[in-house]
Amino acid sequence: MKYFFSTFLFISFVLIPHADDMVVVKNANVFLGQNGFLQKDILIDEGEIILVEDNLPSVPEAELIDAKGKYVTPGLIVFSALGLIEIASIDQTDDTTSNYYNAGFDPSRAYNPFSQAVRLNRSKGVSSTVHMPGASGFFSGLLTYTKINDGLKQKKQGPLGLFTSYGESYNDSRAATLQFMDDFFNFVRQQDNLSQVDNIQFFSGTNNEYQFTRRDLQAVEKVLSGEIPLVVSVNKATDILNVIRFADRQDINLVLWSVDEGHLVAEEIAQAEVPVILDPLQNIPRSFDSLNSTYLNVVKLRDAGVKMSFYYSQDAGPHNAYLATQSAGNAVAMGLNYNDALMSITSNASEIFNLVDVGIIAPGYDADIVIWDGDPLELMTNVERVFIDGKDQDLSNRYKELTNRYIEKSDLPNSYRSRK
Amino acid sequence: MIRNYLLLIIVILLYGCSEQASSIFSQDIDGSAAKFEDDTHGTYNSTYRPLSSENIIIKNAIIFDGNGNKLENTEIHFSDGLIQAIGQELVAEGAEVIDASGKYITPGIIDIHSHMGVYPAPSVRTSSDGNEATNPVTAEVWAEHSVWSQDPQYKLALAGGVTTFHVLPGSANLFGGRGVTLKNVSSNTVPDMKFPNAPHSLKMACGENPKRVYSSRGPSTRMGNVAGYRQAWIEAENFKNSLESSPSRRNLRYETLVGVLDGEILSHIHCYRADEMATMINIAEEFDYKIAAFHHAVEAYKIADLLADNNICAALWADWWGFKHEAYDMSIANVAIVDQARNGQGCAIVHSDSENGIQRLNQEAAKALSAGREAGFEISDARAITWLTKNPAIAAGILEQTGTIEIGKNADIVVWSGHPLSVYSKADQVYIDGALTFDRLNNFMPHTDFDLGIELWESE
Repeated sequence: MKYFFSTFLFISFVLIPHADDMVVVKNANVFLGQNGFLQKDILIDEGEIILVEDNLPSVPEAELIDAKGKYVTPGLIVFSALGLIEIASIDQTDDTTSNYYNAGFDPSRAYNPFSQAVRLNRSKGVSSTVHMPGASGFFSGLLTYTKINDGLKQKKQGPLGLFTSYGESYNDSRAATLQFMDDFFNFVRQQDNLSQVDNIQFFSGTNNEYQFTRRDLQAVEKVLSGEIPLVVSVNKATDILNVIRFADRQDINLVLWSVDEGHLVAEEIAQAEVPVILDPLQNIPRSFDSLNSTYLNVVKLRDAGVKMSFYYSQDAGPHNAYLATQSAGNAVAMGLNYNDALMSITSNASEIFNLVDVGIIAPGYDADIVIWDGDPLELMTNVERVFIDGKDQDLSNRYKELTNRYIEKSDLPNSYRSRK
Repeated sequence: MIRNYLLLIIVILLYGCSEQASSIFSQDIDGSAAKFEDDTHGTYNSTYRPLSSENIIIKNAIIFDGNGNKLENTEIHFSDGLIQAIGQELVAEGAEVIDASGKYITPGIIDIHSHMGVYPAPSVRTSSDGNEATNPVTAEVWAEHSVWSQDPQYKLALAGGVTTFHVLPGSANLFGGRGVTLKNVSSNTVPDMKFPNAPHSLKMACGENPKRVYSSRGPSTRMGNVAGYRQAWIEAENFKNSLESSPSRRNLRYETLVGVLDGEILSHIHCYRADEMATMINIAEEFDYKIAAFHHAVEAYKIADLLADNNICAALWADWWGFKHEAYDMSIANVAIVDQARNGQGCAIVHSDSENGIQRLNQEAAKALSAGREAGFEISDARAITWLTKNPAIAAGILEQTGTIEIGKNADIVVWSGHPLSVYSKADQVYIDGALTFDRLNNFMPHTDFDLGIELWESE
């Protein structure tokens, strides 16, 4: 049902409750973007946030959660391959790359909601992911937004962007790559009717990567028409500038990814109004494209006014995308404003990709919320409840079961111990 | 891109190089060397000289002593490179008194599993020197002969409070070679960084890595791995026996293995699965040597009592998993379960194996502690600090010199801006042998030669 009334009217109306779905979260410290945490009550019904108010009256039909002293945030939006890779070194369980397609490849179609990584990350406060294609060829594929709720059905939004990389990661001179990008985009722009094109080999007789099927060309067309941005993984300062100039020349929307040396050209990124997605923890001169890596990257980008979203790329990152909280916490330690940091793992991703009704706690938005027992960016804070589309989520997972089995006092062999 | 990073880790740190060629070391090199005395402590000695020590009394800080204790209202005095006094109202001639109200002190962090120097930054083939992946048994190679003294990663680890790190060869081989313990100091020779009198270590590896790297020539199975270890130990025993009649005989490979059999070289084993760790304990029993630590040990929590009973440490990540089949059965409570085995007799270490993780080992310990408490263990903050200090010092054989805050020990000290288990805290000052090596508040830190000419890493 829809609610068209103010709080005052709410009191006087008789609601037709949906008891299964209705939840009132009382007295929580609710994260409200730039306003930070404020003590509020939240009414959830039919998967949506209905009201966020100072003092909601009791609703007998609703589940009442007294969250006094707890912290409530939007569900984390991560950038990951959750549900697309089960075990990274076992190729058969990795669906993030394609040999058939490049630009038109949408890995999110392989999403497995029963993946152990999905269940673990959900239990740690992740409500949705932007699915990232793995690097392969010039265009890696499309980004798609997927909720990671329990059960078989997931809401998706997308495609959100077309992923590619520039710099040393691509195996040619960066000068040639720029020329190729211009030539190729101009070529696609000149096609009268893409639906008539079966496939093209852009440089006949060269690398397989230059073959484009109709599906791939149509994805590129979405970038050219401004429907989706080109998302470019790039680190070196001069490469960042070249990519910005390319996007300007081609009049396309751009999102930058990784940007280890972004701080050196922060003003230029801000001026071009290009958002960036990065891991604040990346401070290692890990390649000759990243010699100027520094912890201060996020601080300088923030000072220049660049819109940022964070991911966690460290070590076992693909399976632990939830540790974006640790990335954000360290960004605060380095000098980023707390609210900016928390928005960088929730609402900013939604803003950057124009996601519909997710990423903030406000009436009309999807009820994707997490209740934490403390500061969500702190290392020793636990998740108590996760709601996705208003549904109380199953937070059980294989890793808790393994732990429980081995802390149980039992002389039984492991296979006869408890499963929970 | 996310996947790229993962592949980088897997390829560089975990799989090693997949090139297969017959080893130039596969022939035994017998011969005489009149000058040979003992190459554990002989001609490759440390030439480390500490910077000039401060003479300081720090008061009003909360001290985690690395021994499991939290000391409040306690002052610490160090000078001449050593911790001189711990107590109240300390007085020392000429000592500067520092008020560290609101700050915390821990011993310097020790990373028992690092590849800094042998896999330096930038990560390029030309300086990728961590895996001699040309033969399943390369006990003859020494990590210190690969270490690049100009690796720009050292100072990043220093900024995370790491004063000592143990550099191991990679895990491509059954026997990867000797590891070395280094002070986190800048110098342009490796002996200048070597921790004085630290024993050498031997790196061994179980499981997926060796059997994949050598799949075509063998070993290609876990049973092949085990036969390979046992064969090498038998050869080492034979070599050792032959020394009785030919004492000047040299063989680099067996000298390392005999060092382990004699208890002079510490055995460190990359091993994930519980069943494989149990097998490695069997092998150690067969050849009568001691295992210092299992590394990575994602399944250590399944055999925590067995590890405690054998006095074997487990060097662990807080939460890595999923990158390999043998890393699938993760528990974030792994560290805590190992720590609490046999009523707290376990030896748990939080290690990095990563140029990223080494900068935040305190944060990794915090996550492990949190999971342990969630699982129902009562573990103090002070106890968690032992996972970063005392326990890695035990495993590296350097507990007499460092790893805890005790009178007479090296003044390897970190002053933290706040509680070291908080994500918001940073190492403000790091002292190694009493010398100030890093001071965030005054933007003081070393810069290797590689750093010159590029914008320097700054503090706030």
